[in-house]
Amino acid sequence: MTYYLVVFAAGFAGSFHCVGMCGGFACALGRDPRGHGATALRHLIYNCGRLTSYCFMGALAGALGQIICTRQGAALTLFGGSLDAVERALAIVAGLLMIAMALQFFGLLRVFHRLTVGFGGSTFAMALRSLLASRHHAAPLAFGVFNGFLPCPLVYAFAAEAASTFQALPGLLTMAAFGLGTFPAMLLMGGVGRVLAPAWRQRGVWLAGTCILALGLVTLGRGIAPFGAHMSHGLLAGHPA
Amino acid sequence: MSASAESLCRHCLLPVGARALRQTIGGENCAFCCYGCSIAFQVKNGRTEEWEAAWLLIRLGIGGFLSMNIMLFSLLIYGGVFTGADARVLPTIDVLLLILATPAVLILGGPFLRETLVEAARGRLTASALIVLGVGAAYVYSAVAVAERNAQVYFDTATMVLMLFTLGRYLEAAGRARAARDLAPLLAAERENVVVVQDGAEISRPVREVEAGMLVRVRPGERIAVDGIVVEGSSHADEAVITGESRPVEKGLGAAVIAGSINLEGSLLLRSSGGGTATRWAQICRSVREALIRRSPIQRLGDRAVAVAVPGVVLMAALTVLYWSQSLPLDRAMLMGVAVLVVACPCAVGLAAPLATSLAIGRLARHGCLVRDAATLEAMARVGLVAFDKTGTLTLGKPRVVAIETDGVASAEALKLAAGLERHSEHGLGRAVLSAAAEGGIDLPPARDVRVVPGRGIVGNVGGGIVAAGNLALMRAMCFPVGASLAASARRAEANGHSVIYVGWGGETRAVLSLDDTPVPEARATIDALRARGLRMTVLTGDLAPAARRVAAALAIEDVRAGLTPEDKRAILGRHRWSHDAVAMVGDGLNDGPVLVEADVGIAVGTATDLARETASVVLPVGGLWLLPWIIGVARAVSSTVRTNLLWAFGYNLVALTLAALGMLQPIIAAAIMAGSSVLVVLNSLRLERLPDPVAPQVPERVAAADRLQAAPALSAVAERS
Repeated sequence: MTYYLVVFAAGFAGSFHCVGMCGGFACALGRDPRGHGATALRHLIYNCGRLTSYCFMGALAGALGQIICTRQGAALTLFGGSLDAVERALAIVAGLLMIAMALQFFGLLRVFHRLTVGFGGSTFAMALRSLLASRHHAAPLAFGVFNGFLPCPLVYAFAAEAASTFQALPGLLTMAAFGLGTFPAMLLMGGVGRVLAPAWRQRGVWLAGTCILALGLVTLGRGIAPFGAHMSHGLLAGHPA
Repeated sequence: MSASAESLCRHCLLPVGARALRQTIGGENCAFCCYGCSIAFQVKNGRTEEWEAAWLLIRLGIGGFLSMNIMLFSLLIYGGVFTGADARVLPTIDVLLLILATPAVLILGGPFLRETLVEAARGRLTASALIVLGVGAAYVYSAVAVAERNAQVYFDTATMVLMLFTLGRYLEAAGRARAARDLAPLLAAERENVVVVQDGAEISRPVREVEAGMLVRVRPGERIAVDGIVVEGSSHADEAVITGESRPVEKGLGAAVIAGSINLEGSLLLRSSGGGTATRWAQICRSVREALIRRSPIQRLGDRAVAVAVPGVVLMAALTVLYWSQSLPLDRAMLMGVAVLVVACPCAVGLAAPLATSLAIGRLARHGCLVRDAATLEAMARVGLVAFDKTGTLTLGKPRVVAIETDGVASAEALKLAAGLERHSEHGLGRAVLSAAAEGGIDLPPARDVRVVPGRGIVGNVGGGIVAAGNLALMRAMCFPVGASLAASARRAEANGHSVIYVGWGGETRAVLSLDDTPVPEARATIDALRARGLRMTVLTGDLAPAARRVAAALAIEDVRAGLTPEDKRAILGRHRWSHDAVAMVGDGLNDGPVLVEADVGIAVGTATDLARETASVVLPVGGLWLLPWIIGVARAVSSTVRTNLLWAFGYNLVALTLAALGMLQPIIAAAIMAGSSVLVVLNSLRLERLPDPVAPQVPERVAAADRLQAAPALSAVAERS
């Protein structure tokens, strides 16, 4: 459980980064003329769509990890048991990816930024704009679903983390925890708009970077450390079994 | 006109082909080449029909939401989460999946089902029939399984296959739209609006309503939609589309501007010199549109193969199910059948040629080269021998003074007197004498009592004496005797194919001017470039052998046939076609019409009248001979791209089909593979965008030559006709 709490916290901290990109969308989704309740519902639906996309990615990443690893269905503990070579390799790749993302948050790596922004392309974002204007009840849902797939380093980082769990369910839960972590900020954005000072957003980004860096190092450690067991028992002992 | 407009996809402007999708959007009948294009079009034009456009995306989004949820549960089931004690919740989850899948299948599958039904009503089976059949089988089987409380359901297969295909088509549409971006201005000539200045007010009007004499305002960066004269402002214009000239051309007060060129930096006020639809520009647009609509032979072959393949695939799927059901449970066998149906969907085959050829046709047209159809491009790529006509093609078709023989007087004196007379002449040879005098910096003496003797020459009083310039008959009529040495050099010059002007004064013939046609400045570079591409060249001309040989020698062409009638030329071309894959004939298009028809590719330089008469299949802009090697390069690139595409599409289908029939392919993976295949074909075709632009050979005279030839009214005849 602790593990998911950490992911949730990372998501929460990271969501201050989201405010930059997705927050704009959330603001644009705007208020429903039918009252506060309808507005809240609208944003809830939007975030549900987003969450579904994240969960899907998480489950898919976890299942992929599981397919790649031959040891199907074997319970995995974060710092215990022996990991075979494939799992180690995956963990190393995922860990390195997360560290790279974290460094990018600190402004130390620029390559990934270009990669994530260049990919996907503006046509997709352009198409999404027409959804924002629609008054249809399901429009926020569709918008959230697409939004979830928008290129975002934060999402990639946690998808990598989900893949390194090597199972569909933990993968799903990882992404779900992360997605839920982003809920408060995004809902807030929808409700009160851009009240957050840029300085706070910057602090949030640093916090998110720290969380991701820590998670990345731990994941990397799982791949590198000879037995892992003696590394740490206390910190993240609650990883799903 | 309306028939042709309907045959192009409304979104990507490519030909819709046999499997067009027709929809009414905003009260307008629109044809689309695919479902993806129809979505993309409505999204792009969302401002006017906001609701409808958004609704399509909403459908995609909801479909995605539902199918992702289904997939989530399925992944958990496959991952073995609901085993042991949790297995009792499985029936509940199955019901939940049914509830999620039903709207997803309806929402995503609707367009495919509609297309299938419409085509089936016309007695045709299309690719979407395969998808409908496959998805329908998976869905119905799973629904029955839920009702019977059976363990295995395949809702994830049904919805994910639909989702992937819809996504693939959407991506494909985005690629096609990108390809069409280049083409769009070439199809818009008649649709364009211009700003007309009337009584001080600026009104936007369709270009077809513009008449001669109207004032038109063109802002910087806009395309000039009418032919006209600048009456206010100055700027530069990019005329590449019309003349092939890639450098900006200065446009000051009184300069003529051509429709289709782009006004670069300054605002211009033009006085239109003709109707808005009678421009060469409008003609280019019309011919490009016609070129796009005609399907190439290789594409027709592909289409026929698809038409045969679809029923075959259905049969194969049935056999697969039948075979595997003997050794496996029915649901597994059915899944293999579904995989066969899905993986055989020949979407990529239909994409293989049109995208590549339309990219190339648009690219060529932007440099002023018009191609009649896609088949021409294919033939062009196979050309092994290029036959040239001489006059007006390899040569400027304009004589130049190349030698002056005298009986002892200064040649400058002879030129001066002759030019003084010829100033009053309209004859082509006379103008050559004038330009020779101008090149020599000779001041023209005044002439009086000038009289043109038809068919003989010109006589007048220059500098106080009678001077005659013309042929031998004129000299005889004037009783100017010709000296023996002069007569000999005149005979020699004539035997060489030169034209000769005798100049006489003071009761005697004093000089002989030899005039000859000169090669087009960039001809040598063009011939060399063609040779570097492995082509053989020959000159076929009706002129005298010496003249033809001289030009051929200057251009390093060894094979020369002179003194030919058009019938001879056709016969020779016919013989060449036996030994070469395809033969191209390059002519000026005025006299060579029948010969150009005889060649596999008839190339006319500077006149598009023949394109309309179907004598020439390629038309180069005035002075655009140098574009020929580039065009052949483009044609070859297109040909190899189309071949790779078809090979890929068919080969891919074949391999995947085999795997699916052997039961080694999951339907979802199969759908992902097929969607990816279409996207790959699109990407491969888009590589053609990166072909280099033509590079003009460095010939200083080229621009001047083009200017001299500019006067030729290339397309007006066609424009009047249509």
